[in-house]
Amino acid sequence: MASFGSKVFLSLGRTNVSGVGFRKTGNRATYATALTVNSSTNKARGGKGSTGRRPKRGPGEPRTEKMALDQDWTSVYPAATPFRANAIPLPLRMGYPVKRGIPPEKKGNLELIKIPNFLHLTPAAIRKHCEALKPFCTEWPSALDTDTKCDEHFPVKIQSTDYVSAGPSIRNPSARVVHMKVRLSCLNLDDHAQKKMLKLVGDRYCKDSDILTITTESCPLRQQNYDHAMYLLTVLYHESWKIEPWEAEKTRADMEEYSWEDSTSQKNILDTLLRINLAGEGEEAEVREQLLGREEVLEYKDSVETLKNEEPSERNMLRYKEAVRKVLKV
Amino acid sequence: KLPASSTLLVAGLKGKKEQKARTKTYSKITVTDKPDTLFQKVVVLVKAHDRAVLDSYEFFATMAAKELGITMGKVFEPPKDIERLTLLKSVHIYKKHRVQYEMRTHYRSIELLHVTGCTAQVYLEYIQRNLPEGVAMEVTKTTMEKIPDHILEPMWKDHPIDDKSSK
Repeated sequence: MASFGSKVFLSLGRTNVSGVGFRKTGNRATYATALTVNSSTNKARGGKGSTGRRPKRGPGEPRTEKMALDQDWTSVYPAATPFRANAIPLPLRMGYPVKRGIPPEKKGNLELIKIPNFLHLTPAAIRKHCEALKPFCTEWPSALDTDTKCDEHFPVKIQSTDYVSAGPSIRNPSARVVHMKVRLSCLNLDDHAQKKMLKLVGDRYCKDSDILTITTESCPLRQQNYDHAMYLLTVLYHESWKIEPWEAEKTRADMEEYSWEDSTSQKNILDTLLRINLAGEGEEAEVREQLLGREEVLEYKDSVETLKNEEPSERNMLRYKEAVRKVLKV
Repeated sequence: KLPASSTLLVAGLKGKKEQKARTKTYSKITVTDKPDTLFQKVVVLVKAHDRAVLDSYEFFATMAAKELGITMGKVFEPPKDIERLTLLKSVHIYKKHRVQYEMRTHYRSIELLHVTGCTAQVYLEYIQRNLPEGVAMEVTKTTMEKIPDHILEPMWKDHPIDDKSSK
């Protein structure tokens, strides 16, 4: 009965449609499609729930609650990672406190995330790393305990700097500078060679510590600068041993130290003594030699040399005064 | 000669052989006859904008040196540098209103004495890999060397004729 009724309705609908026109058929078509779409979406969402989306899972309890007290921290933080509030079981607070309040807690705290942390470098972790690195290290030779022994066997010191920084480039142009320091007493130099070396080198030599410093930065690479410094040292050494023909023209003004022999001071003192007639009788040359051998004259010579070679001080002046008094018997 | 580790896994055998293969590729310690460089002094200067970061880094570096058996010299803090700038606050005019910025650089110096080349390389690489972000480092190494052979005797002794060629 019902089926007959529905057929009747359908037929009615059809007749109605034919009576009205195209629009109704169109409507019927859209209505039918709309119906089908609705039913299909309903069927898909049927498993999840027809009213809205499925609720999201909450965050749950933080990992810190599940951590044991004697856990291996090196496995929780094996490498450098930013701060994770729910993975660190410490009650940290960081930041500027609000008025009449306390610093903000660690959950969602940007200050704690910004600052670099050393949680991956706890003492236990450092010990583990060093244990693994030990086989690659070598021991310092036990014979070179003190600095003096090192200087004795290895007198040449090379100093260079490496730079590590973050930036657009890892290179640093100052890394190519090489300083080479040598003690001149360790080099095989005789008297003339030493004086010539000092003249060649000039400012690079420090008198107090007897160290010659050669700084090279003209080459682009450090290895090249080191080779250049070695080359300069070799050249200086060999050149200082050479005796050029024009070196024979060295005058008193070129001398590094003041020497009393054959100086105006010697002539003056001998002339003065002869005039005062303090010397004995005899020929001039013999008398001069005699005078030179006298104690007071030698003392006078020492005081004059110290005055000229070293810095003038109270003590040196007093010594000179005493020496003059003795010589002239005043 | 050893079977590939993949076949062993397939067979389900995690025996000594696989571990041997692992250790073989892991620790490649090569010993050469070339003499090791000797550093009389290695000075590590660390620079950062934050003093607390340098404190932690100093603790890490000193502990690492102790564990590796390196003798330490002075560990001190050079005084900080502050670079100040005074700029105009506004984009256009208003010369009387300025704003001041400053950049603080804190330093920490660690001195190591009597280090061999291998140890220095290991220690410095370890230190530098764990350098925190925003921290810079300068390493000054003082190497010790013997006087080279060509400087021991002047060459003019054997050849008294003046040679213009050096070395």
